[in-house]
Formats: sequence, C-alpha cells, structure tokens
Amino acid sequence: MLKVACPNCGAEVLFRSPALPVKVCDYCRTAVTRIGEGVRSLGKVADLPFDVSPIRIGTRGRFDQNASGARAFEVIGRVRWGWTDGSWNEWLLMFDDAIGAGDSPWAAGGRPAHGWLGEAMGQFMLTVEIPFDEVRSTNIRRLAKGEKVAVGAEARIGDEVMTIADIKRARCISSEGELPWPTPLGWTIDSVDLRSPSGACASVQRDGQETSVYAGRYVTLDELGVTGLRAIEGWAMPRFAAG
Amino acid sequence: MASLPPDPPASDTDAPAPIAADTPAPAVKPLSCPNCGGTVELRAAGYTVSVVCQYCSSLLDVTHPDVMVIKRYQEAAAELEIPLGTRGVLKGVEWEAIGWLARSEGGAYPWEEYLLFNPYHGYRWLVTDGRGWTFGTMLTRLPGSSYQGMTLDDQAYQPFFAEGRAQVDRVLGEFYWRVAVGETVRTSDYVRPGFMLSFEGSGDEANWTLGELLDPGEMRGAFGVGAPPRSWPPLPHQPSPYGGIASSAFKFAGLAVLAILLLTMVFGSSRELMRQSVTVEPDAQAKSVTLGPLTLDRAWQAVTISAHAPALDNAWIDLDYALVDRATQASYEAYGAAERYSGSDSDGAWTEGDRSATTKMAMLPAGNYDLVVDLAGHNWQPGGGAVDVEIVVARGARFWSNIVLAIILILLPAIWLFWRHLRFEQARQYASDLGPTGVARLFQSSGDDDDD
Repeated sequence: MLKVACPNCGAEVLFRSPALPVKVCDYCRTAVTRIGEGVRSLGKVADLPFDVSPIRIGTRGRFDQNASGARAFEVIGRVRWGWTDGSWNEWLLMFDDAIGAGDSPWAAGGRPAHGWLGEAMGQFMLTVEIPFDEVRSTNIRRLAKGEKVAVGAEARIGDEVMTIADIKRARCISSEGELPWPTPLGWTIDSVDLRSPSGACASVQRDGQETSVYAGRYVTLDELGVTGLRAIEGWAMPRFAAG
Repeated sequence: MASLPPDPPASDTDAPAPIAADTPAPAVKPLSCPNCGGTVELRAAGYTVSVVCQYCSSLLDVTHPDVMVIKRYQEAAAELEIPLGTRGVLKGVEWEAIGWLARSEGGAYPWEEYLLFNPYHGYRWLVTDGRGWTFGTMLTRLPGSSYQGMTLDDQAYQPFFAEGRAQVDRVLGEFYWRVAVGETVRTSDYVRPGFMLSFEGSGDEANWTLGELLDPGEMRGAFGVGAPPRSWPPLPHQPSPYGGIASSAFKFAGLAVLAILLLTMVFGSSRELMRQSVTVEPDAQAKSVTLGPLTLDRAWQAVTISAHAPALDNAWIDLDYALVDRATQASYEAYGAAERYSGSDSDGAWTEGDRSATTKMAMLPAGNYDLVVDLAGHNWQPGGGAVDVEIVVARGARFWSNIVLAIILILLPAIWLFWRHLRFEQARQYASDLGPTGVARLFQSSGDDDDD
C-alpha cells in the first residue's frame, strides 16, 4: 500500500495494489500515476455519468473460477466504456491473495492478481486476463493483427469453444479508483465479446498494437456473495448482500 | 501523455466529493426532453439507451450527455394495464415496470411486453397476450438442441412456433437497447408445461429467454392485474389442469378395479353345499322334488344353483327352485332353464343352447334349508327318454354384470378427465406450427390437417 499526496489537490491518494500504476483522486478526479519514487498528474478524468449500478469501490465478494477454490476480492477501480448503442462498466477487482505479491500481476499459485467484473444490460461477467501467448485460436490471433473476423466465428479459449457474439469500437467515458493503465479522454479500443453455450465468456480488447484477452463466465451477484453494495434510494438491499 | 499543471485545490469546489458509503445513491435521474421540455425520469440510468418521453412520446437517445430526439411522435400516451413506475414482488424480488412494448406478428396476434428492473437483479420481462402472464429471464447460456426440440437444465422443450417474425408496434418507457418501432426479429419458441423457451435473433445477435407462466393469483398480488380465470384456447406453455389428475384418476381407478376383482375372488369363492341328481320325464306332469337339507352358515350369502343335464338333446327343461328355511318356512325362489338343440343342414352339423343352467340368488340369510325343485320338460325328439339332471348348490356367486358395471363406473371419471385433458392439449397445440404432439395426436380426424 502506498500513500501519496495528490499532485493537484493535495488530498491523500491511496494505492492499494502495488501492481497498478494509476489511481484517480477521489476528491479532484485527477489521474495520478507513480513514477519512480514520486507521482505525477495525468490530468483530469471526466466526471462519471450517474448510473444506478449496485457495485461501488469497496464492494467485496468471492469468486471460484474453475472450482479451484473461492478467492475473495475487493472492487478497487472502474472504467466506463461507451459505444454507439450504449455503455457499460468494467469494475477492477483485486484478489485478497494478491496482497503482498508485490508489483507482480500474479498472485500465489500463478493466478492473476486482478479480475474484471463487467456490468452490461443488468448482467455480470467476471473475467481474468490470460496471457496472450497461451491463446492458440487463429481467430483471436487474426483479431490481434487487426484483421476482420466475422461475428459468429468460433475461437477456443482455454477449454471452451466460444462464439464471437459482438464486435464494437468502444470509447472510454470515464474511470475511477485504481487502474492498470491511464484512461485518456477520447481513448478508443476495439472490443470483441465471446460467449459459449455453458455461460463461459471472454473479451478481447485491442488498443492499437496491444491485445489483451480476458476469460471467465457470467455470474450473479448472489453467487459472488457480495457485500458492501451501493445503497440505492427506495430499493431494498438484496437478502444475499444484507450481511 | 502530457500532464496538466496542477490546479490550486481552492478552484476545485465544483468537483464532486466522494459519496459517503452509507448515503444511498438516488434511484432516478431526471433529464429534460429536448422536444417538449418535460422532465423524464430515468429509472435505470447507466443502462438505459432509449427512453420515450411520457409527455410527448418522442423517442430519445440518452447514450450521450446531450439527449437527442430520435423520433418525434404526437400520440397520446397509451393507457397501460401496468402503469410504468409500478412496483411488484415476483419470485421474492421487487421489480419496477420501466418499459412497455406492443408487439405482433406482422400486425396479427398482438401481445405486450413489460420490461422490469431492479438495480440489484437486473432486467426481467412480463409478457401477456391477454390470456395470462409469463415472467421472462434472459439466458446467459445457450440451450442445447436435441432429437426433437431443445434442452435446458435437463428439461426437454417441444418446438411450438417456428420461424416467426416479431415486430415492435409501439413503445413506452426506457430500454437498454436502441428500441425502434417497426424493428423486426426472427423468433421461435419451445415449450414444456409451465415454461417457454424463446429465441430472438436479428443480424448477428441471438438471445434466448426462459419464460415461466405465472399463477394469476401471484400476478394479481404483485401488480394488481389478473388473467381471465379460464382463458381459451390455452397458452402454448399452459399446463393442462387435467393431465396430472387424469393420470392419478387412472391409477386410482386401476387400483379400485384390482381391489374389486380381488374381493370377488376372495368373497365370491364358492363352497359346494349339496350335489344331488334328479330325473325329469319330458312331457310328463311337472313333478316336485325336495333336496337337501343344506346349511347356510353365514349371516348373509349368495347361493349358486347349477343344473347340468349331460344327455339333454333337442329338449328343454324348466327348473323352478324354492329354497325354504326349515325353521321359518321363508321361501326364496328362483328359476333356471336348460335347452339344447342340434341337427344338420346344408352348412353341416349345428348345435344351439346349453345343457347347463346356472341360477344365482343374491342375499340369503343363515339357516337350514330344503331345496324344492319343480321340474318340467319337453322333448322334441320322438322317443326321447328321461333326462338325468345333476343339481349342485354352492355358497357364493359372482355377479359378473354387476362387476362390469362397477368397473365402468369407477373408470368413468378417469375417462372423462382424460377426455378433457385431450381436448385441452388439442386446443393448446392448435396454434402450433409443428402440429399436434403427444396425447393431442389421438382422435384427430384426418380433415384437421387441411385446416390451414
């Protein structure tokens, strides 16, 4: 954990994950990045448009990806993406077993230190990044090279044969909390969603020459055993999150 | 990326302070309609893409901070059965109706869909065509296709509607996609009792929704709207109210029939009480013989008197029985006759009639009895002599006609229920694109196939 003063407003900026280089100041919404021993401002991040998401920074839960044991996590950041027909949230999770792993992106047992809880159309997908080297699918490799691949094409990711469900250009609207990269205004990426009949899902995000692959599955807040959800006026906190 | 020069903190009063953890976030976001200036409240801000202004019915795009008018309408707002903003509890979760679609198959077979929202549980659907309400959940996994239909969670779904085209006729409220009047999707539906699995596809997109038929009482309790108590024809996924009870009725009736047969075997079993022979002189004066005595030891019993004349040929005999209680002189009378004819004609030899006569008496009280038999006979054959008749009296009797009647009466309700089930299934599947399946295929006249 690293505490610094915001180079813009002087407020305390807390980096919980040593592996993440960027944090948006909670007070003045300046993106702060660590360089060497100090920090530097990356400029202001746009205000987050209001939404009724039940997730917030500090929400906790547990996720068992492949029946390899549930891992507790905490939401530490968010990126909001927009495209021509809507917008969605990607909540950044830090797994508890990654605390103390230093600035490595991997926790004990080689498992990823971070995950993403995608929130779109009232549904949730929990994914973790998988090393691009491990992806054998030719269709994914073609996507990474910027070649066109049709919706409906198949791609094997891990043990799952998935189908490309959606290809869109996404624009970063805003962000908050800790982030693995800066989110400059007007930043656009190519985002590809994949689904499998079993409920597994993946997304491929291409930013210029860089391609990242995230794989996981659809989840419900109930099965994640979430706590610390956002209270929303006039709506009862669900029973599963009351604790 | 260049870093901006730090601003003095004092100039940052416009920056929103972080929301305190325990302060509830507002549930609605007001925005002003660029067409009429009315205040439209977004109930699913952040998810909603399109919203219809409740004042001027303009369709608005809210994906950008600058709300845009997609289409101006001048229609008056429709009167909805469930006004948008209404909340109700279904399946243990409170839902708010936030969107409404009127849809049809090219203008025919109209139905309505309400979009339900809960910020912690996402979206659900309420679908009705006036005959009942179905609660729909969009699937995040795909059903598997099977030999005939689809499977989901080890449940089989029969195809019902194939290759439909559903269009949007009217919209109100807010939606998480770019909704448009006239928008058409491909549809197909699969059913099992109480559930419908629906496919919607357009372009590259494919969505599956699982619908659960709601109990009218549940729907009335949740949103104050019911369904006609007996909608006809039934919905494609409406469970037959007779199916289960008909099969139970058949099981029950089967057991009852078995029990009757068993009781008949046990209590109808006979015990011979007396066996004596008499001789009948045909064409002589009727004669009376007294046989017995015989003892009936149960309080009440049936008695079977069998007469057998092995030499009877082209003759008849009449037997008038009277069982007379020695103590009370009470007399119980019955009658039997045996006749037997034979001969030959152009078709060969023939015989007719029976050399035996069985007479049953139902309820005789205990006692010592004499059996008085009045015998008469006639022989059509010249020179026919006396005929020996063996008379056997046995306790117990099986009244087969009564047993058959009882079995029919027991089966009747089950048969009626099965008939109702059949009629229900045929009416339910009448609209199916796939033709009748299962029980509904029974008793279909071939002409039905030519109806469409």
